[in-house]
Amino acid sequence: MKRKIVTILVLALFAVSSAGLLAQGQEEAAAAAKPVAIEFWTTETQSDRMATIQVLIDTFTALNPEITINLIPVDENALATQTQTAAAAGTLPALFEGPAETAVSFGTQGVLDLQATKAIVDKIGKDRFYSGPLKVLETTDKSSYYALPYHGWIQGIWYRADWFEEAGLNPPSTWEDTLKAAEYFYQPDKNQYGILVGTLPEAYAEQCFTPIAMSNDAALFDADKNLVFNSPEMKEAVEFYAELAKFNPPGPQTWRARDYYLQGKMAMFFYSTYIMDDLAMLEVAAGSLTGDNFGDLSGADFDPELVKNTRIAPIMTNESPAGYGTVVALGFFQQKDPAKTAAARKFIEYLYTPNAYITFLHMAPGGMNPMLKEIASNPRFQNDPMGLFKSYGPEKMAEIIDGLENVETFSIVEGVRIEEASEITAKQIIPQMLYKITQERMSVDAGMRWAEAEMRKLID
Amino acid sequence: MQAQFKKAGKQPSGSSAAALTDGRTRTQREELLGWALVLPSVAIILALILYPVLYNIYLSFFQVNLSGASRFVGFLNHREVLGDREFWSALLTTVMYVVFSTIGATLLGLGVALVMNEKFPLRGLVRSLILLPYVAPVISVVFSWQFFFDPVNGIFMDIFYDKLGWFSQRINLIGSPATAVWVAIIFSIWKNFPFAYLMILSRLQAIDQNLYEAAEIDGAAGRHKFLYITLPEVYFVVNAIILLRVIWNFNKFEEVYLLTSNVKVLSVYTYLKAFTGAMDLGQGATLAVLQFILLIGFILFYVKRVIKW
Repeated sequence: MKRKIVTILVLALFAVSSAGLLAQGQEEAAAAAKPVAIEFWTTETQSDRMATIQVLIDTFTALNPEITINLIPVDENALATQTQTAAAAGTLPALFEGPAETAVSFGTQGVLDLQATKAIVDKIGKDRFYSGPLKVLETTDKSSYYALPYHGWIQGIWYRADWFEEAGLNPPSTWEDTLKAAEYFYQPDKNQYGILVGTLPEAYAEQCFTPIAMSNDAALFDADKNLVFNSPEMKEAVEFYAELAKFNPPGPQTWRARDYYLQGKMAMFFYSTYIMDDLAMLEVAAGSLTGDNFGDLSGADFDPELVKNTRIAPIMTNESPAGYGTVVALGFFQQKDPAKTAAARKFIEYLYTPNAYITFLHMAPGGMNPMLKEIASNPRFQNDPMGLFKSYGPEKMAEIIDGLENVETFSIVEGVRIEEASEITAKQIIPQMLYKITQERMSVDAGMRWAEAEMRKLID
Repeated sequence: MQAQFKKAGKQPSGSSAAALTDGRTRTQREELLGWALVLPSVAIILALILYPVLYNIYLSFFQVNLSGASRFVGFLNHREVLGDREFWSALLTTVMYVVFSTIGATLLGLGVALVMNEKFPLRGLVRSLILLPYVAPVISVVFSWQFFFDPVNGIFMDIFYDKLGWFSQRINLIGSPATAVWVAIIFSIWKNFPFAYLMILSRLQAIDQNLYEAAEIDGAAGRHKFLYITLPEVYFVVNAIILLRVIWNFNKFEEVYLLTSNVKVLSVYTYLKAFTGAMDLGQGATLAVLQFILLIGFILFYVKRVIKW
């Protein structure tokens, strides 16, 4: 009798558990097909770029009807703030696309899903990526990655080679030559300006400043993670920057003032490779020109010779050579609902497939360069709709893409990743300091003291 | 309803004479109904106005950490803000901005209203066209102003530097911190004078014409009529406009920030402090509290001493 009861009990238990398993299996199947909506924050806020990304989303959701993706534009300068407030409110999106430095700063705040990121790198294969950009996003213990490198640009000083040649000046590759040329071409009475460096408190100012500081061996941190911002080298760099800013167009300026170059009113400007299509294409440049719309103003028409007369000096040298570029990454924010992360993973995997990837990169040929080696050599990638590869030649383009291997930032010192430096970059402390010094007439010493105090607030 | 409450207050509760079947008097039941009717609005006001205000005051005593626990610091934030030179400079900028933009918008509104009160052809059309700056979306006019003042390509420098030579060099009026506040003030006057104009004009139209006729018989000149009839008649409206404009402009954010991010009035300074750089939300909250106190103080002073309501 007892045995019978035990047998029945065991059978019943088995039945219950297998029914449970079955139910679980069904639930999993249901979860896969259950509709899930995720948000995707992108820093590509221009409407034409949003439209391209939307096309990719539409294609993806047609293949995966259970997934809905809401594309939300977030200004690059507001990304850190928006994330911090969304994290506090518990409304972080599943996915974001933004500068690698910002992604690292998110990672150190613990809001990123590193496992999901690592899984994608492993699935694609580490060796297929360019190693430089991947390194920028590696965690300190090298066990995972904060985000996935997706595209990148390099920056340099673009200059009027024809003007320089005529004046007998050297290309702006050293501090001395750059300052000399800026001074020479600064003729405000003729409405012509020497150079453009960022002086508004925005990311652009730091992008211009970083290669100048690095070329003077100035750093934010040493390899032991001590803040060494207030150094003689950094002071020299800030002073030099403030000196250059005197030959800027009047008042505080940001990247938008590159229009003056396209109008033939400026000799050089710091800019990324994003400028390449503006230089070469009339349609793209139209937004920067005023001559057609306002005949009476001293505007300008499109100059088809400009692309030939423009060169880039990608490396700045004083004490040592320094280049600058930015990797733009895709990252996962932690989600409570694993289905959202799963959907986001699926979407990112799709974004790395050749067709989707090349469509994305062709939004800004020259500006958006691939992070997978095989895409760079893909003939479809090299045949961009604007014909930019043809106008610049594949060699020049290859040179640009190779430049990404040597991207330097404040946040990697002797191979050690310094998360605090990314935090300082994300919070734009240096641009605010440069604004105070160049526009609010704060002394260099006072400005640097202010910046150092702000940086200490962030790292303590 | 108020009368009902008063009555209920005076009457001793539970008066057996008025007692109804459920044991409550009629006035008590009406009182309950009254509360039930106002409760939704009270709840909304509490949730949407009082709670944020109180929470903001609460936050000002903390070192706020968005990704961890906040730390109580007592009056540290208040002391730091009051000891911060930038706070005082922001306050000075705000006072300058509010005083000049309010006086400018009110005077311009008054002048335009006086002109528009006279009869002339196409008056109706002109009257409505004047409202344009006030009704146009701020973002679109901001962009045109920025283009207007662009130092290299803008129309303003083209005329006043190239053509007329009033400036010795091209200046970024809208960008440089020293001049941007004046551009912001002029922008505010231009954008907001139609409101003053509209209010004053409607008051002007209600003035009894007999007053003017009587004054004319007494031999009053136009100046006298304006001083002794028009001004006293519009006195309250003008004061109300000034009060409202001060409140609005003291808290003004979007017009200033969108036009030029370099004019650090208190609201912009608070935003920069709380949401950029090191994101000091505690100090941001403190700034908002101080701004609130200053504004309330001004309103009480103005209403009691100047308007004497």
